[in-house]
Amino acid sequence: MRGFFLTRPALPWAQPRRSKQSPMPYEWLPPQNGETHLHLWPYRSLPRRGMVWFLSITISLIALPLAALIGTMALWGLLPFLLAAIAGIWWALNRSFRDGEILEDLTLSETELTLTHHGRKGVQTWAANPHWVRIILHASSGPVPNYLTLQGGPREVELGAFLSPAERLQLRAELQDALQRHR
Amino acid sequence: MADAAIHGHDHDTRGFFTRWFMSTNHKDIGILYLFTSALVGFISVVFTVYMRMELMEPGVQYMCMEGMRFVADATRECTPNGHFWNTTVTAHGILMMFFVVIPALFGGFGNYFMPLQIGAPDMAFPRMNNLSYWMYVAGTSLAVASLLSPGGDDQLGSGVGWVLYPPLSVREGGYSMDLAIFAVHLSGASSILGAINMITTFLNMRAPGMTLHKVPLFGWSIFVTSWLILLSLPVLAGAITMLLTDRNFGTTFFDPAGGGDPILYQHILWFFGHPEVYIIVIPAFGIISQVISTFSKKPIFGYLPMVYAMVAIGVLGFVVWAHHMYTVGMSVTQQSYFMLATMVIAVPTGIKIFSWIATMWGGSIEFKTPMLWAFGFLFLFTVGGVTGIVLSQAPVDRAYHDTYYVIAHFHYVMSLGAVFGIFAGIYFWFGKMSGREYPEWAGKLHFWAMFIGANLTFFPQHFLGRQGMPRRYIDYPEAYAYWNHVSSLGAFLSFASFLFFIGIVFYSLLWGKKITQNNYWNEYADTLEWTLPCPPPEHTFEQLPKREDWDHAHGH
Repeated sequence: MRGFFLTRPALPWAQPRRSKQSPMPYEWLPPQNGETHLHLWPYRSLPRRGMVWFLSITISLIALPLAALIGTMALWGLLPFLLAAIAGIWWALNRSFRDGEILEDLTLSETELTLTHHGRKGVQTWAANPHWVRIILHASSGPVPNYLTLQGGPREVELGAFLSPAERLQLRAELQDALQRHR
Repeated sequence: MADAAIHGHDHDTRGFFTRWFMSTNHKDIGILYLFTSALVGFISVVFTVYMRMELMEPGVQYMCMEGMRFVADATRECTPNGHFWNTTVTAHGILMMFFVVIPALFGGFGNYFMPLQIGAPDMAFPRMNNLSYWMYVAGTSLAVASLLSPGGDDQLGSGVGWVLYPPLSVREGGYSMDLAIFAVHLSGASSILGAINMITTFLNMRAPGMTLHKVPLFGWSIFVTSWLILLSLPVLAGAITMLLTDRNFGTTFFDPAGGGDPILYQHILWFFGHPEVYIIVIPAFGIISQVISTFSKKPIFGYLPMVYAMVAIGVLGFVVWAHHMYTVGMSVTQQSYFMLATMVIAVPTGIKIFSWIATMWGGSIEFKTPMLWAFGFLFLFTVGGVTGIVLSQAPVDRAYHDTYYVIAHFHYVMSLGAVFGIFAGIYFWFGKMSGREYPEWAGKLHFWAMFIGANLTFFPQHFLGRQGMPRRYIDYPEAYAYWNHVSSLGAFLSFASFLFFIGIVFYSLLWGKKITQNNYWNEYADTLEWTLPCPPPEHTFEQLPKREDWDHAHGH
């Protein structure tokens, strides 16, 4: 039933719409207790409130034939099909959001750089010493152009594979900067 | 998180069976839809040709109780077989409405080009897409099976009209009627699943920066269509399920003897049926917008009014249904409401027609084949729209109800409007989908033959309707002979052009000149599908497209 409520984990796109000037699907959060946070998530074109609008209009229009049939037996003939249609589109939109519910949380603290990947398959973490971390850019040899990986931990991991190539390039510069300042 | 994966890309290694029978790729499924609907369309067109043969002369020459004939033979006895006539009328309607036009425009072009135009890598639910297609195939098989199984009058097939009105449909013998109902169920379920898929894709998978007010008009038309399908087809499913239980389980939803109401069925059916005609024609609007803008070398005039006109047509389509049933005994107030509401639809439709004309105004118009079809669409759809205004008048409708005037009207908007939209789309995107050119002269010949043939078929039917010839009869008095003869000649010409079209398609697919450019029209064909090779590779837009690929200053 989790998917049927609009109060969801505070994922960035579930937040009230931010200014139109920040279309980047990643965000540096203000530093707290000496830790810097970077959040990355895949792009979705529908804001949550767009879904609310769409469903409200759809439900009010589909209520029209039902209202016309109040008091007849035929109401019961139609009702299951109309409910199934609404449930179907509701499920589909929620499922589509859930498919994109990947959040990568990169935390840079005094002694450790951790990367946590919240995806549909659960949570995966990776940690390394910030002094040893290297950001590698595979301009064309990776699965996507400008593929970004991090080295220096137990294994090499990818970062922001769902961003666009230009966004990854900009992200690399910003991350490089943050690491420099940290060192 | 995912470990780093640094290796090359896989190539297309699918075999024929995997690619076409287990397809989850939106482009392949689009092609499957187009070919299947063409096949069903051929079956359905063959019925019409046979019907026009029968109507060519007064008297019954072909559909005899003694057996169907392909050559008239006055020396042998022929007892008219009214049941066979009714069956062909019904099959033509059901096949065309549910299994030809919607699958071609919505399933075919919608699947192929809507995700491309919004820059999505595929549909939101690729496997559900496959399910939709195969449910459509299963539905088609049931519809054809219904023709060949025991039905009313101790003959094969059921002849109750595509609207399946009770009590006729409830009392029709045999199980042919039940098969037809299941066929419509399956096709409806397939369309609803398709619509859910398209809506989710359109809303949640648009390229970054592509707000709703920047989506190309064809993409918008598919969205509006999916939304109409989602709202109206469940109503049809409910209605025919109640028919099914009335037939088989003794319920009395539509039987006055048990407290039901047969008129209620008509209300429910047309609550679905009127949006249905917009479901059929709105994707054609989208195609025509793209074509007219490309070949006028101008951005579309009034993009936003075009979008909201489609939305308005969709919404208004839900509040006008009873104009199909002025003669069932509604109060005068009810009739005036439905009359006024119906006439209001002329406003958004007019916005669209005038915006298309304004797009061409001052443009550098090039009469390539797709543009000819778009011109044909514009003319024919306008003729059909004007007779629609005539029919919307409840008092006038008393005279025209169930005459050939109605037949002429809805064939002008649907058969000619929507079908010309389909052909415009096929010629516009043929090279994109196949990577090969069709011979330009052949496309033009097809257009002129079809345009003349279709007008010759349906324009005289206005005269027949005004003379008072009723629809759905196998025979007619001598007085209607002249225009029926002309109409049949037109039907034969249209059929010949359709056969010629099939030839064009196979010739071009096999021997057509290969296309090497991405955009073989001009820079006004500026939606995202034109940034891809012809035909596009198996996977497209796995990388989200960049904004400058689609956001042109003059975009449409």
